[in-house]
Amino acid sequence: MYNEFVDEYESYPLEDAENYHYSARGEGDFSERTGHYPTYSIPEEVKKYITYFRDAIRDGNVYDIPSLYVDFNRLTEEYFKTQSWPDVEDLYGNKLVEQDNRDDIFLILYRELYYRHIYARIQGGPTIPQRFESYYNYCNLFNYILSAETPVPMELPNQWLWEIIDEFIYQFQSFSQFRSKLGKKSEPEIEMLKESPKIWNVHSVLNVLHCLVDKSNINRQLEVYTSGGDPDSVAGEFGRHPLYKMLGYFSLIGLLRLHSLLGDYYQAIKVLENIELNKKSMYSRVPACQITTYYYVGFAYMMMRRYADAIRTFSNILVYIQRTKAMFQTRNYQNDQINKQTEQMYTLLAICMVLHPQRIDEVVQSSLREKTLAEKMARMSRNETPEFTQCFTFACPKFLSPVPPPFDSAPANYHKEPFLQQLKVFMDEVQQQQQISVMRSYLKLYTTMPMEKMAAFQDLSEDDFRNALLCFKHKMRNIVWTKGTSGLQGDFQSDSEVDFFIAGSMIHIADTKVAQRYGDFFIRQIHKLEEVNRSLSKVKV
Amino acid sequence: MRSTVASMLRGIERYNPENISTLERYVELQARENTYDLEANLALLKLYQFNPGTYQNTVACQILMKALTNLPHTDFVLCKCLLGQEQMEDANVKRIMYLHDLLEMCQFSTFWNEKDQYSNLTTNIKDFSDSIRKYVCHVITITYQYIEKQVLSQLLGNVDEVALQAWMSKYGWKADEDGNVFIANQEDTVKTKNITEKIDFDSVAGIMAACR
Repeated sequence: MYNEFVDEYESYPLEDAENYHYSARGEGDFSERTGHYPTYSIPEEVKKYITYFRDAIRDGNVYDIPSLYVDFNRLTEEYFKTQSWPDVEDLYGNKLVEQDNRDDIFLILYRELYYRHIYARIQGGPTIPQRFESYYNYCNLFNYILSAETPVPMELPNQWLWEIIDEFIYQFQSFSQFRSKLGKKSEPEIEMLKESPKIWNVHSVLNVLHCLVDKSNINRQLEVYTSGGDPDSVAGEFGRHPLYKMLGYFSLIGLLRLHSLLGDYYQAIKVLENIELNKKSMYSRVPACQITTYYYVGFAYMMMRRYADAIRTFSNILVYIQRTKAMFQTRNYQNDQINKQTEQMYTLLAICMVLHPQRIDEVVQSSLREKTLAEKMARMSRNETPEFTQCFTFACPKFLSPVPPPFDSAPANYHKEPFLQQLKVFMDEVQQQQQISVMRSYLKLYTTMPMEKMAAFQDLSEDDFRNALLCFKHKMRNIVWTKGTSGLQGDFQSDSEVDFFIAGSMIHIADTKVAQRYGDFFIRQIHKLEEVNRSLSKVKV
Repeated sequence: MRSTVASMLRGIERYNPENISTLERYVELQARENTYDLEANLALLKLYQFNPGTYQNTVACQILMKALTNLPHTDFVLCKCLLGQEQMEDANVKRIMYLHDLLEMCQFSTFWNEKDQYSNLTTNIKDFSDSIRKYVCHVITITYQYIEKQVLSQLLGNVDEVALQAWMSKYGWKADEDGNVFIANQEDTVKTKNITEKIDFDSVAGIMAACR
């Protein structure tokens, strides 16, 4: 199945991976490399760790791997805060791994962590050869998993599997951005990029994700799962295996992200059509994956002018994050990522709430009332375009171009183009809606009003004013998801707080009046009191 | 054709550049026969994005024009997101963007007045004006309880009496003797809402039981 795709429109580099030789330290003619490899001997604790880890992989020791995976971060903090982990040559040199292919799988996994650490921690980021090597390492990993006749005997924690897919796309994104920034590159660097059009090629990345989806039968599994059946009954030999099943699921989220980065919001939502977003499921146990999913889904909805859906999506996940906040407080780079994404989602929610005011969960609402966000919202409500631009720029994903820049023409800001296009689409929408917030503030004041009179208030001709009213109705009425798993489906609804209709030349206005809610408040206070009581009773006098 | 194309777009095949010519013919067909397939058109724009050398400006314009005919849906925005900045600079694309702005902002009179200047873009799209009128009718349906007949005809592009009657009967709108056209009763859907919190015993019972 997997190999059928290769060679179809161009030979995917996945095939060449085996022939690629990782340039050993010192052999490479890239002088900048040496800077990343200070000479040091491997600390004893790290040696021990690597040996344990190697054995756990050799023996397929499922129970030790999760904690070993977590230890990687701990040891990074202790020994490798700003320098890279020992490279594979060093492991051979210290006799930590065998040369006889016995440790191939361990080395692939080790390299996965090794390069990911370089991307995250090393100043100046990875060099071009490192980007290439990391790409080939992913090819090796996916080749191993996908080309096997029977499921490979490998079990990794879900968290790691998620991070493999997440990182794979992140590195693709990072490479695309890097490749487009021609201005700062030397001749040999540009040559190197020109000669390797297949590395981090968008087709290969899509191919990997699609293959993982197909191999695991995940779509069929999800279909059966949502209709209450047993997914194993349709999973097939590979899909029953947790490694394949979870990689398949995470690849769907990966596709969601990838399509969003390319500006294809329709496909982004469509790939998730078998995932029931509004329900908890057995597939959703990795928090980072959940948060990423909702971020991209919410963003896609916002761009599609489905504000009610975007607002629901963001509120759902933000409530979840608030409840589980304690989990994300320790500082490591995964949590930094989550916290950044949370902040971005609050900003996106603020944008949506300005464009489409409606009632939301009290907990989330109170966060929007905090100073900086409240000020942003106030500025946006006053139609200050720079604020919209700023919020969008801060909160949007890092859009990318799927093709290399024209290497031979004059350097320009190619890396910014995809972002600028999405920004333009969004700002055009904001422009079209510019009159609406003023209209809303006027309408709020009355229950009935002759058109002529209100047109005069706003210094508009009656025709222009009528257009503005029609535009208000049109923009406030959007497709909203109602049922089913497909996030694309929905009905036209109007959830606007202020609504109206016209009878002849008279406007009839309907407002939403919300009485103060006290239930939530009391419950929260009761819980707080209980907690105080509990901690008091623990105090020994 | 729709099902052949749909099967072409499954899985990784969707990105096969060899599909481009078929999809382009399909766009042509949609324009000629007044049919519409958003997903196929988006797939074509994506192929252009992946293979910039194959980009056909006239086809892209047709896709955008077809997206206009599917207002009030936001198909146009979805298509726009897949274009590049350079492609947006094209004079025809810019004109279509302007038309889109007019329609989204419901400036229908301006749209009808200026429409003739864009005949090079509209002639190849079968029933273009009527598709736009459908969108206008949608906006009227959600806004008006009743509307002056003369305003209605103006919003529809100053159509003659016969055409106006045809649109009215299509939507079931009835004219009265005062020159008004009854659209729909809005009083049931658009009304002031008072939201008060209701707390029932069951939701309090849990927390009461927990406090001793």
